[in-house]
Amino acid sequence: MKFLFNTGRTAAQGIGLDRKAGAEYARATSRCMMNPVDMMDLDVEAGDHLQVRGPAGEVVLSVVPAEGTPRGMVFVPLGPYANHILGGETHGTGMPDFKTMTVEIEPTLREVPTVADLMDEIGGAAYSPEETS
Amino acid sequence: MIHTDMVCPFCGCLCDDIVVETEGNAVVRVDNACTLGTHKLMNASMDRLKGPIMRDGAGWRDATYDEAIEYAAGVLLDADRPLLYGWSSTQGEAQGLGVSMAELLGGVIDSTTSVCHGPSILAIQEVGHPGCTLGQVKNRADLIIYWGCNPTEAHPRHMSRYTTYADGFFLQNSFRERKLIVVDVRKTETASIADEFVQITPGGDYAVFSALRAIVRGRGDVVPPTVAGVTKEQLEKIAEMCKSAKFGAFFFGVGLTMAPGRYKNIRNAIELVDELNRYTKFTLTPLRGHYNVYGSNEVFTWMTGYPYAVDFSRQIAFYNPGETTAVDILARKECDACLIVASDPGAHFPRKCLEHLTSIPTVLIDPARTVTTPLCRCQIPTAVTGIDASGTAYRMDGVPIHVKTFLDLGYPTDTEVIGRIFEKVQEVRHP
Ligand code: SF4
Repeated sequence: MKFLFNTGRTAAQGIGLDRKAGAEYARATSRCMMNPVDMMDLDVEAGDHLQVRGPAGEVVLSVVPAEGTPRGMVFVPLGPYANHILGGETHGTGMPDFKTMTVEIEPTLREVPTVADLMDEIGGAAYSPEETS
Repeated sequence: MIHTDMVCPFCGCLCDDIVVETEGNAVVRVDNACTLGTHKLMNASMDRLKGPIMRDGAGWRDATYDEAIEYAAGVLLDADRPLLYGWSSTQGEAQGLGVSMAELLGGVIDSTTSVCHGPSILAIQEVGHPGCTLGQVKNRADLIIYWGCNPTEAHPRHMSRYTTYADGFFLQNSFRERKLIVVDVRKTETASIADEFVQITPGGDYAVFSALRAIVRGRGDVVPPTVAGVTKEQLEKIAEMCKSAKFGAFFFGVGLTMAPGRYKNIRNAIELVDELNRYTKFTLTPLRGHYNVYGSNEVFTWMTGYPYAVDFSRQIAFYNPGETTAVDILARKECDACLIVASDPGAHFPRKCLEHLTSIPTVLIDPARTVTTPLCRCQIPTAVTGIDASGTAYRMDGVPIHVKTFLDLGYPTDTEVIGRIFEKVQEVRHP
């Protein structure tokens, strides 16, 4: 099913900002808030996983019911998960389509990746403090 | 030890009434801050990198400050088109050095503005900024509008310090006298406490502003029965609430700047405020995210004439958002080295940009491990302004505030590290 992909701040995402390596931040930014009626249409329940495909690729998120989100839209806290599927187009303004991306969503049994997995996929090298010193 | 009147270095509210209690180098208690500020201050000394780290094949190794600074200066000097990005969670003093260094390198300097309120600035450059200080709003405003923003979660004390829940000198009973209008595409927590919640269909902001302007002008007859999901009846009600207010304060967030129409939405909002000023006093303020993102715009503007996305490759300052903005430069794979200061593009930039960051020498100056760390070749940890470094930051209404320190963890400040890189750049470019 196609959805309008909206991103923005949440308090949990903000709390995690200074400890982005932590599991709390990963949990806070890999949530996909969706209207419960849309969840019925997709046949998913709270906590189930969704595969979300956007212009730059796909990512697995976990679904959270949210009455306030209108049908046809999903809201994902801003962060590495949301941006993993976002294209680089800015329409001559410098601002990418953080709130206006169209995505294709379907249920999946795959796991939600870690932030390190996402960065690995991009070509990064994870750093863990034990590694040095 | 109890430190009073500290400034919270998290969001653009820059609350300056924070009380922090420390025992040695540990923060044991934080009073007055919201959950976001409390978390940042309580975790002040946690998760920091102990010293610089550098990529070593597929892994990492420790490095000294001297070595990391030498490396950073080297990659910037070797580059044809270096990008110096970030600058929103650091001191004004460091921002100024960044601009001087970008000029000497012939590089591009951009702040996180380009992915938050860049469009607001473009609109302000077109039609002006009917702004005021937050103190004016607190003491005078009897009507508050939050449009495309959710201060309850992003600026949690905005309402208690400056708007809905704040006492106002010129208001008898501010909580009762103040009306709150929230406009958004979804029902947020802020929307649930509004006197009037206006839910518009995504992308409909421009049309709603135009309809409101027509109604305020007395040309409601041209407005159709619904505009972007909002009934004409509700639009007329809001227009009347605005016109009859003694002092209205309009705040907006990235819900407007990122929506279709981008800066044209803000232009239309400013023109609505302009229209309302024929009837009453009305002001407009962007809700700025990072505590010193406004400072980056101020510092860049004093020094170059432009607020962000300044390109020095022509040996004069050149500015063209959409071309000289960080996301565009990275997506076009244009820069060949990148210095990132006090921001986390790894978490906030589109994937295409990050892929390019990993393929060029990227140096990160940031106190802690972030999502950008794996994408870099070198990271230099520094002190956090407002915790173990002091400096200047600009509140979202443009008021500069001295941000104080309450810990000494022995890290150099951003200004010191950038100053040392700049010295090395000067040795080569200005021997
Ligand atoms: S509202 Fe902003 S500045 Fe104030 S305490 Fe919360 S995070 Fe800090």
